[in-house]
Amino acid sequence: MSQRVFITGYGIITSLGKNAAENLQSLIDRKAGYGALEVLDTIHRATLHACEVKITDRQLFESLNIATDTGYTRTTLLGLTALMEAIGMAGLTEQEVRNSGLLSATTNGGIREFEKYYYELMDPAQRGDFVRFTDTANPGEHCERLADFVGIKKYIGTISTACSSSANTLMQGAQLIRHKKLDRVICGGAEALSKFTVNGFNSLMILDTEHCRPFDSTRKGLNLGEGAAYIVLESEQEVERSGRKPIAELKGYGNANDAFHQTASSPDGKGAFIAMEQALAMAGIQPSAVNYINAHGTATENNDLSEGLGIQRLFDNHVPDFSSTKPYTGHTLAAAGSVEAIYCIMALQHQMIWPNLNFENAMPELSITPVQQLKRNASLTNVLSNSFGFGGNTSSLLLASV
Amino acid sequence: MKKTVDELVVELRAELIKQLNLEDMLPEGFNENTPLFGEGLGLDSIDSLELVVLLDKNYGIKLKDPKEGRHVFYTIRTMAEYIHQNSDRI
Amino acid sequence: MTGQPVYYINGIGILSPQKTFDNDVFLAELSSYHENVLTCVTPEFKNYINPIQLRRLSRMLRIGLTAATICLRDAKVQTPQGIITGTGYGFLDETAKFLRELLEQHEKQLTPTYFMQSTYNALSGLIALSVKCMGYNNAYVSRGLAFENVLDDAMLKLIETPDANYLVGAFDEAAEVQFLASTRASHFKTEQIHNLDLFNTTTKGSIQGEGAAFFMLSGKASDTTWCALHDMQFVYNPVDIAEVKTSIASFLKKNSISIQDIDLWIDGASGDIEHDRMMNDLAASTFKDIFHTRFKHLCGESCTASSFALWLGASILRHQQVPVAIKVHTEKHPAQLNTILIVNQYMNKNFSFFLLKQV
Repeated sequence: MSQRVFITGYGIITSLGKNAAENLQSLIDRKAGYGALEVLDTIHRATLHACEVKITDRQLFESLNIATDTGYTRTTLLGLTALMEAIGMAGLTEQEVRNSGLLSATTNGGIREFEKYYYELMDPAQRGDFVRFTDTANPGEHCERLADFVGIKKYIGTISTACSSSANTLMQGAQLIRHKKLDRVICGGAEALSKFTVNGFNSLMILDTEHCRPFDSTRKGLNLGEGAAYIVLESEQEVERSGRKPIAELKGYGNANDAFHQTASSPDGKGAFIAMEQALAMAGIQPSAVNYINAHGTATENNDLSEGLGIQRLFDNHVPDFSSTKPYTGHTLAAAGSVEAIYCIMALQHQMIWPNLNFENAMPELSITPVQQLKRNASLTNVLSNSFGFGGNTSSLLLASV
Repeated sequence: MKKTVDELVVELRAELIKQLNLEDMLPEGFNENTPLFGEGLGLDSIDSLELVVLLDKNYGIKLKDPKEGRHVFYTIRTMAEYIHQNSDRI
Repeated sequence: MTGQPVYYINGIGILSPQKTFDNDVFLAELSSYHENVLTCVTPEFKNYINPIQLRRLSRMLRIGLTAATICLRDAKVQTPQGIITGTGYGFLDETAKFLRELLEQHEKQLTPTYFMQSTYNALSGLIALSVKCMGYNNAYVSRGLAFENVLDDAMLKLIETPDANYLVGAFDEAAEVQFLASTRASHFKTEQIHNLDLFNTTTKGSIQGEGAAFFMLSGKASDTTWCALHDMQFVYNPVDIAEVKTSIASFLKKNSISIQDIDLWIDGASGDIEHDRMMNDLAASTFKDIFHTRFKHLCGESCTASSFALWLGASILRHQQVPVAIKVHTEKHPAQLNTILIVNQYMNKNFSFFLLKQV
């Protein structure tokens, strides 16, 4: 009864590059986007390195051909860059775009602009150019901007479940398609770095002052990143009707809550285990059929232990190749789920496994170690993408080749 | 005049109650030797981050690793002793 | 059987600018406000939240967790299968507190509590933690469609597992930051009004409201059922009133009912002279013979005000009574109260329709 859900296009911008091709090349070349902050103005720019998109807002406006006085936030600009590429890759007509749904994720929306003009915005007597950023504290603002710009009208929604946000947009998009509410949904997330985020994570003392080392026993925390990534999901019927060639299939997904702590994952990785197990059950495959896991792997002490144990519990003695691509992109928060889903799709397309950079020392609590060198000719059919977040949110996606 | 450990205990108790909203929840018999975390008062990792900032703000002591705090923040007395030894602001 | 699935509201918990936390009373006494900001009437939080948890929770988290707890108790459900929340601006007070500290202290010596509590999924996570719910958990932040997205999500899940219970809800707070920033964009009135006079004003803007409302949604009725939610649909950014009318017509057709079957409609007018044009048009045309009610003078305007309307509709059906305060024509009374249609709008851009029936 249920429709299968296919991927027919994607678009991505991260510190690795401004489109899919540049991201792919950087993954192959082991070229991480990590370094001092140059575009964001913060006192931490030299001490808390991050994976920043080294393109200014002005350059983004120019490349999108949008006037600079329109009040688009950096989150929106990054989002539009990726969204346009996704629509282009899928080759959607104007009418098809109009009848699409858009589900976008963000943890910050336009807080970068809101913090910049905070004092002006808080004084109703003041007038000036900043007024175009009046509503940027609203996280749904960016999604309406994206929809209005490309002409999506049928269905919109914004999701914010911290670091698992855009994985959840893919799940909800697939659900809307499976129940025939929509034929096509573009899902993903956008996230610009801000003082708010940098200082927030810094106050939690989970930022590493060096380049992050997921699953390494010496890991000290995460590096932040920014970017946007969108994926075009279409029903089986729509793929047949349009004659578009599917790139991959979103075969299963799981969402659970760890219900352990407001910001920490459970020590035994129960939530992670449940989410992955659900994804496999929905796809109708055994753990042994999974060829690669793109781990959430933030390099915080807590996440990697919890996730590692959850993986070991599910896969027992047959843990497939796994790696975290966070050293490449940093933690792009709400965008991370769709960024990494795209890296999984690229892995399926090119039969490659991305290395877990910076790994040297095995964790004493785990019996597994991540893939450290690029693997070519990997024969991948089913790959799992994990995204976990504050609030106990755990999500897992099962992507399969077609 | 440098503050004594006992004076710091009194000061810290008041400060903790205020910063961590402990007013209505101090258990009977709570004193400067009651463990603040776990089985004692039941503070959690977020509280320890609040305490890290409190040490920095009020006493000019910077803890780099939150895990270091586990020993320092064991009880109000251990905190007072640590501050007494390490702060040049008292 | 029409083949359309039906959903049951088996429990409600709501805190709003009216005294709504007691489910046995239905707007018996009204709270009125002589300012343009309406804040929640709250019960003693201690009765709903344990002191260790209460210690660090922000006001809005307390309000949200209390509403969720009332709903769980009302539905006699200990642990739901999933928890989904929606909000427009989230915990903007906490966001602003962290932001102010950040700016004032020049990014130094910041504590994490405000930051942590500013995350949009803080409430859905907190409820999951409180009731040990390891099931589905999601949080929508889609401006005036956040609560509608929540319902869509839960309703699709219930097609597959009708016996399941989903705790769905919405919250928004009357944050000063939003008031100050948005007043410039005429979201709120600049002249001070009395909230009960909202619909007698002729100016731009509304009054700011807040609240948290939770509903236990299931595909199965129970002995605590309030009413049935037959369907919900939203329209994003309609080009004109004709599009809204066409959408309403197809929504009713899909549910096999005609305009005459509706006993009462609740409109989402906000007191904004411009934004209310569509509602006024609908009242004079499509729904001119249908008993007419309004609600935003009671709860104020917010991105998730439609959750207050859903409570209002469910309460009318349960108590079989229409409070005078919400009647547009006070002299009339509907012949029967079986079918209710809610038509909400937010900023004239986000529209949604809810169809409720008595069980």
